[in-house]
Amino acid sequence: MRRGSISVAGVGKEFGTTTVLNAVDLAIEGGSFVTLLGPSGCGKTTLLRLIAGFLEPSRGAIAIDGAAMQGVPPRRRPIGMVFQNLALFPHLDVFENVAYGLKVRGAPAADIAGPVSRFLGLVGLAGFERRRIGQLSGGQKQRVALARSLVLEPAILLLDEPLSALDLQLRRQLQVELKSIQRQLATTFVFVTHDQEEATLLSDIIVVMDGGRVQQVGTPGEIYRRPTSPFVARFVGDINMLPGRIVSIDAASAEIDVGGRRFRLPLAAVIGKTRAGASCDVACRPESISVQHGSGAAADTGASFEARVGALHRLGPMLKVSFDTVHGPLTGLMMTNTPTAQLVENQLVRLSLATDSLTVFANP
Amino acid sequence: MRTSATPRSLGWLLLPALLVLALFLGSVVLLFLNAFWTKDGFSLVYFRQIVERTDYHEVLLRTVSISVVVALAAAVLAYPIAWLLWRLPRWRNLLLVIVLVPWLVSLVVRTYGWLVILGPKGFLNEALAWIGAIQSPLPLIFNDLGVVIGLTHVLMPFAVIATLSVLLQIDTRLEEASESLGASGFDTWRRVVLPLSLPGVFTGIGITFLTSMGAIVTPILLGGLRQKMAGTQIYQEVVYNFNMSKASAWALCLLLLSGLGLVVLRALEGALVPKADR
Repeated sequence: MRRGSISVAGVGKEFGTTTVLNAVDLAIEGGSFVTLLGPSGCGKTTLLRLIAGFLEPSRGAIAIDGAAMQGVPPRRRPIGMVFQNLALFPHLDVFENVAYGLKVRGAPAADIAGPVSRFLGLVGLAGFERRRIGQLSGGQKQRVALARSLVLEPAILLLDEPLSALDLQLRRQLQVELKSIQRQLATTFVFVTHDQEEATLLSDIIVVMDGGRVQQVGTPGEIYRRPTSPFVARFVGDINMLPGRIVSIDAASAEIDVGGRRFRLPLAAVIGKTRAGASCDVACRPESISVQHGSGAAADTGASFEARVGALHRLGPMLKVSFDTVHGPLTGLMMTNTPTAQLVENQLVRLSLATDSLTVFANP
Repeated sequence: MRTSATPRSLGWLLLPALLVLALFLGSVVLLFLNAFWTKDGFSLVYFRQIVERTDYHEVLLRTVSISVVVALAAAVLAYPIAWLLWRLPRWRNLLLVIVLVPWLVSLVVRTYGWLVILGPKGFLNEALAWIGAIQSPLPLIFNDLGVVIGLTHVLMPFAVIATLSVLLQIDTRLEEASESLGASGFDTWRRVVLPLSLPGVFTGIGITFLTSMGAIVTPILLGGLRQKMAGTQIYQEVVYNFNMSKASAWALCLLLLSGLGLVVLRALEGALVPKADR
């Protein structure tokens, strides 16, 4: 097994009377890029600080590579950390910042210059050794913070929303570099963010958190295609929620009714306590809506509805459309250069939902 | 919203400040005039005295060395207090009050307090004699040691506040970053907190040094009869000898020495304190 695995078992954390984390179980494989994703206040940063050792859990246990971490201070854990505000040492230059950990370890001067310049090279800052921290741009500071932690070759690097202060373009660029650095070093990266796009772009595994609990763990694809709760469905990517009803259930599938239109879905796509007659929400990604021009053209079967075209938003190569339907507003997403995307406002169209991409959340 | 007054019409608010400035500049000018314009007309006689008389050299040397010792002692003693205040935010206000309490007591009363503690029949000597540690009272007072103790006590709160104000600007996440890079608490203090707090320490040294250079009451009450400092010398010329010209000459010398002291301090700070970017 690769080093840098983390096991979180039944971890809870309270600050005073406020419960911040509740019974969190998580197994992170060594060498993977894991993102803790959730809205602010969901406990993701607390979980990161628990793994780092800046906090001790109120309940439960954390182990790194099989070793229990209870009572082990951060400096004795095989971790590095990149802080949200970076926390670079303002009185030291770039070289001294990166050399800090090695000096603390008591490495002889001859063994410091080599790794420092290697890791400054890795983050693209060769030649910046003698710059002062105040002379660096936001992106360069970011790279120094990364090199400062990585030079100690920790098994795990913890990153607390390190890119949130950067502008979008720089952010995208650093995301790509971060991912490639992680691949080269095969260090476990645990990355905290509230940006689902960032999480999707970077991660091998996304851990979606809300209200101090883990909501879902999965690859970006799984989280997007098969959300296991309405929260996850809404938080990751755009989603349409249609009110419906479960008509009947058999061994393999369920029949769903949305506004009189009935269609069958495999039982795996139905989440929650499924019983006939229960109301439910049908979740549908915008790109799973296809458009036929002219109302009433297609047969009135399956998951299809009449709709009126509302506002049109062009997003580069994509067209985002708001449709008005009897079930409320629906959002559709399509490539601009396809024939079906030639829409005008107030036009009447027929929408059909790709049933294999739907997820149904049964209401309790 | 209506602006009630233009900046121009508020100019009269500057009057008190201008008055203070005028009085200050006026007295500095008078000081210069007095120093060079003696009762025999323009003369450098008092400056010549200061340059030539060895007993005066001794006074100036004592003034500077006592001030340096006091400034260093106050800085060293104040640092742990400031550090504690910084570390214990919950207790900060209470501790700050305790640090500042000496300032709520009049200078003379506070200085007499030291007589009670350090005098030949004071608390400390009696206590040491009682446990048999000493045979005869230690000379803790009415000498340079007494002056240093008294001045350090009076001036230490300045050093505490100067150091604390800089410590409070240090981002606590720098300590966490240091810890995540393998540093122990002491390593973090030595490599991060200390260098970043040194500017405050130097500010404190500057304030205590300057104040101590001009001290009058403490050296009079706690110092030896014959061991004058520049401040007491000036006090004597003004109050007992009514020699304003001599007093002014001394005051200018004191000003010059204090200025020199600051220049040396700045040079030391430049050499010792790493520049931190904010």
